[in-house]
Amino acid sequence: MDAVDKSDHYEVGTYEETPSLLSIIIDTNPRAWAAIGDTLPLSRAIANILVFVNAHLAFSNANQVSLIAAHVNRAAWLYPSASTPNKPAQPKDDGGDVEMQDAAAPPPGSANKYPQFAQIETAVLASIRNLVDSTTKQDLDSTTTQLSGALTLALCHINKATSSMSASAVNATSESKTSDTVHMGLKGRILVISVSDSEPSQYIPTMNAVFAAAHGQVAIDTLSLSGDATFLQQACYNTGGTFLAAPSPQAILSYLMFGLIADTEARKSLVAPAHDTVDFRAACFCHGKVVDLGFVCSICLSIFCEPPENAECLTCGTKLALGNYGSKPQVVPRKKKKKKRPLNGTPAEGTASGTATPAL
Amino acid sequence: MSVSTAPSLQLTDYLEKLPGTTFRKLYQQPSTAFAIFRRMLPQLAKTFVMRMLFMPKPMLLHDLELWVRPDAKRQKDQALSILQAFHIVHITAPSRDRPQEMQLSPNFKTSMRLALTGGGTHQSFGVPSNLTVPTEIDINFLDRYAKKKWEDILHFVVSSVGYKSSAEANGPNKSVKELIISGRLVDRRPGGGIGITQAGFTFLLQEANAQVWTLLLLWLEAMDNNREAGLEAVDMLSFLFVLASMELGRAYDTNALTEQRRNMLPSLVDFGLVHVPHHKRSMFFPTRLATTLTSGSSSSLRSISEGVTAATTAVQTSGGPLGSTEKGSVVVETNYRVYAYTHSTLQIAVLALFCKLTSRFPDMVAGRLTRASIRQAINFGITADQIIAYLAAHAHEQMHRTALQTAKPVLPPTVVDQIRLWQLENERMKTTVGFLFKEFEDHKEYLAIAGFAEEIGVLVWRSDKTGMFFASKHEQIRDYLRIRKKAE
Repeated sequence: MDAVDKSDHYEVGTYEETPSLLSIIIDTNPRAWAAIGDTLPLSRAIANILVFVNAHLAFSNANQVSLIAAHVNRAAWLYPSASTPNKPAQPKDDGGDVEMQDAAAPPPGSANKYPQFAQIETAVLASIRNLVDSTTKQDLDSTTTQLSGALTLALCHINKATSSMSASAVNATSESKTSDTVHMGLKGRILVISVSDSEPSQYIPTMNAVFAAAHGQVAIDTLSLSGDATFLQQACYNTGGTFLAAPSPQAILSYLMFGLIADTEARKSLVAPAHDTVDFRAACFCHGKVVDLGFVCSICLSIFCEPPENAECLTCGTKLALGNYGSKPQVVPRKKKKKKRPLNGTPAEGTASGTATPAL
Repeated sequence: MSVSTAPSLQLTDYLEKLPGTTFRKLYQQPSTAFAIFRRMLPQLAKTFVMRMLFMPKPMLLHDLELWVRPDAKRQKDQALSILQAFHIVHITAPSRDRPQEMQLSPNFKTSMRLALTGGGTHQSFGVPSNLTVPTEIDINFLDRYAKKKWEDILHFVVSSVGYKSSAEANGPNKSVKELIISGRLVDRRPGGGIGITQAGFTFLLQEANAQVWTLLLLWLEAMDNNREAGLEAVDMLSFLFVLASMELGRAYDTNALTEQRRNMLPSLVDFGLVHVPHHKRSMFFPTRLATTLTSGSSSSLRSISEGVTAATTAVQTSGGPLGSTEKGSVVVETNYRVYAYTHSTLQIAVLALFCKLTSRFPDMVAGRLTRASIRQAINFGITADQIIAYLAAHAHEQMHRTALQTAKPVLPPTVVDQIRLWQLENERMKTTVGFLFKEFEDHKEYLAIAGFAEEIGVLVWRSDKTGMFFASKHEQIRDYLRIRKKAE
């Protein structure tokens, strides 16, 4: 009672565990899965991922989950079902669970399973089957994985869920702190389960999604089962997520449960699994090749592996002066005021605007 | 803003008192392991459990240090102690030749794995009924049903004082009333009526979820004392966790329950946790009160204010089924006037506990906080902190908006201070049990002994002029006197 006039006593704490939304992107590239089919068939991977999903949902009944397949030619919703595009935005009426299409026709309930887990399992298995069945031979011609599309879908979903959550929070609790509502509403997180190499042609859209995620404070985690997911390393690094490479894919559940179960809340107090050396190489905008050394437009920072045609930037159209790139260095008579002889004529010349400078 | 005196019975306290064998029994059932995990553990502890769940071997306790950042050591220790209190992890005793190891207790591990993978034949998530569901029973119906039952109970708690609501004609069942009285949420007053106790007010301030648990735990304790009913607390608790993991709006089979659990149903119907249709006795529906038992914040150290804030958020996430705190509606002005935009008789009744209500309109009541009204509340055992917490938690949107714009506290500081001061008025005297020392041989001896008492921290009061002092303990002073005598 000594502290009668301490002003912090007037404020009432508003601490409450914020629910978290986990978006899992499963790379369903058939070729890649066939390659590791001996150690980890897709069916087993899905079963393990479902256990992980259940574990995430077990944390709190306000936690939500969404699963997206990044397929060879498109990104597809696994859960919540794509047939009900408006479902995820619906106000939650049963404690925050994402309502589902097939909740209307519930599967025969088993007494041995938590009802919500059973729903998700049926939905995901059905959508995976659909996806596999609808894959045609032509689809297999392309070997890329539509990662950027899936990332964008996941981000949209998180954004939608967050805003609907905070909107309802404002309405119901008269908490009109509009600036803080984004944080108190929902914490989003994306987990990519990658099996294939990063496709250079996907560089730009992927990085766009990554920067959007970083802006929205959505962490991107990656579990790379095989292949060389260069861009995802950068994604994890930029968004403060965890990148885990799994040398033995059959232990997928251990990797998931140990390294990736902690949500943003718990991560504040946990030591994150160490980052591998991050491959920061970018892909060029003109041919989609990963480059060590290239040219950068000084106006829009586009990267090219070779000087673009007509020395015009392909992105912004700026006329670039390449100087005398490629010509032999020549000795220039010394200028009167400078004592040192400048190294003119080398490829490094480019301090003036409008010229292309080599990028690392 | 914690209230230290007489906290109402909480699930954590109840569970922590249970012996390890009881936990082993509880954890045999996957739904129970799942529910305790979800409801009782802090975030970090949950992460630890998940990480250890699929570990084949025990891990070294030392390794846990490596998981956690150095600055989060306190949270780690707290998480670990909670895990141990619930007998979820087992840590080997420290010994010289083997480092300490920790692992999940076997029953918990097996059950948790089953819960996550959905295997086994334990049937602990409820057996759905195959019979056709009566068409009139849907989620809305169940919500209305549960809300009515629960508000009846809350009304019974508040209606004992102040504002008499008209809706108390059909209050809760007699057994529930007895339970509330024996649980000392209200007590019988000399005049023959009943009055709310401090525990009762704490109960009112809790979020609906915690209220349900408080009542259920009272019930469990009552049943534990009264063995002839043939109900065993462990099994009852397990059944509550089963209910918690059921799905709202689905019918479950009564016949699949053990007889013990079937016997629990009538009481649960009284609490509004389940609904049994009149013409179809072989099925029951869990209501939202039951299915949200394991939701809500897992904070085990919930103070009143957090509870109230949680109540407001809990209501919004669950769609406002238990409308005791549907929406902030109370405006408090610096001139001690209170306006509440509500027509809930329950909320009016709660306000009447500490406000002098003057006028009532169709959707609003007005009144003021007076010295008399606050003192009356304090006489009921309600503390100033509780009143302030209640007002803050129910503050109207307009109050929040102004507070935000002017960067000032939500409640007017002058009112908050005054409420506290009114409480302090009653606390002008403080009693301490102890011993008075007087009639020393000379002033020097008095000074020495009083100085000694002050040093060891037992001195309560001293008067150098009269040569007297008052101490709360005398043993050490006695010894000191003896030594002094010997030295002379």
